[in-house]
Amino acid sequence: MEEKLLTIAEAAEILGVSIDTLRRWDKSGKFVAIRKEGGTHRYYREKDLEIFASDLIKLSNDWVTDGLELPSTFYCINSSIFQARLIKMQDALMREGVPDTIMPLIVAVAGEIGNNSFDHNLGQWPDVPGIFFGYDIGKRQVVLADRGLGILVTLSRVRPKLKNHTEALKVAFTEIVSGRSPEDRGNGLKFVRQVVAENPISLFFRSGDGELRLKKDNNELYITRSQKDTRGCLAIIEF
Amino acid sequence: MRIELKKFGTTLISRQAGKEALAAFQSVLARAKSDENLEIDFDGVITFSPSWGDEFLTPLLNQFGDRLVLSPSNNPSVKITVELLEKTQNKKFRQE
Repeated sequence: MEEKLLTIAEAAEILGVSIDTLRRWDKSGKFVAIRKEGGTHRYYREKDLEIFASDLIKLSNDWVTDGLELPSTFYCINSSIFQARLIKMQDALMREGVPDTIMPLIVAVAGEIGNNSFDHNLGQWPDVPGIFFGYDIGKRQVVLADRGLGILVTLSRVRPKLKNHTEALKVAFTEIVSGRSPEDRGNGLKFVRQVVAENPISLFFRSGDGELRLKKDNNELYITRSQKDTRGCLAIIEF
Repeated sequence: MRIELKKFGTTLISRQAGKEALAAFQSVLARAKSDENLEIDFDGVITFSPSWGDEFLTPLLNQFGDRLVLSPSNNPSVKITVELLEKTQNKKFRQE
């Protein structure tokens, strides 16, 4: 039996992006449409839509790089939308039977990282406000990203001597920043580090050209410099 | 006086929500007698985070000191948050 093809309008509705965005993605090769023999209309297979939307790392990375439209399921334009979706994730984790010993910690870690993006960029987003927030409980993965100022710029307000992104990451994840005025910076990333060090959860965090890896049940901080300097922050939580 | 945190929600995550909770609670707090303890009950809270805790518990700790008493909780997000707040404030919470 021939598989039913979706029209571009149906595909746009399912992904939560505009038809123009799908046309652009088709042209650029990011998400290529199907054309019937001799025809010019674009069609999509349902399965391809699922595969496209399930690659959270690629979607978030592309967005951090190009800032173009995101499938609406993953885009939280403000912190209220993020809070609502975080509670939805919490419900899903409970439904899937993720144990009470780590379930609240996964939600709290995602909450601290996502809220950091909003707290430190409010009124100062360089272009696109808001964050990418996606999760796949089957793959045991949560991905968050923003196109904000990044850790170095926001932390430099209280630590003006910071020289580069790797140094900024180290301070953000290890040093208690007190006397926070005028920046109401929390110590959420220290919480994230402690949670990961004591639990079967791992984290990859990138800001600028700094990359940090925290491995599960391990207190070590692995900080490296990447070849590319990217915008904002990207976090991948695995459990 | 006993404060059931679940009345503020079961997912206590953001700084903004913590601030709002504390502001909403001021009128109740004003009724506390000068020698009365303030007991914080975490029962029913699913997820607790340092951002919310810092906006709600830290000001209460600074205002009430030893009269602020935390009830025991098995929730790992409560435990790690309380430990972190103690480190950032360099003060200990009184715990039941």
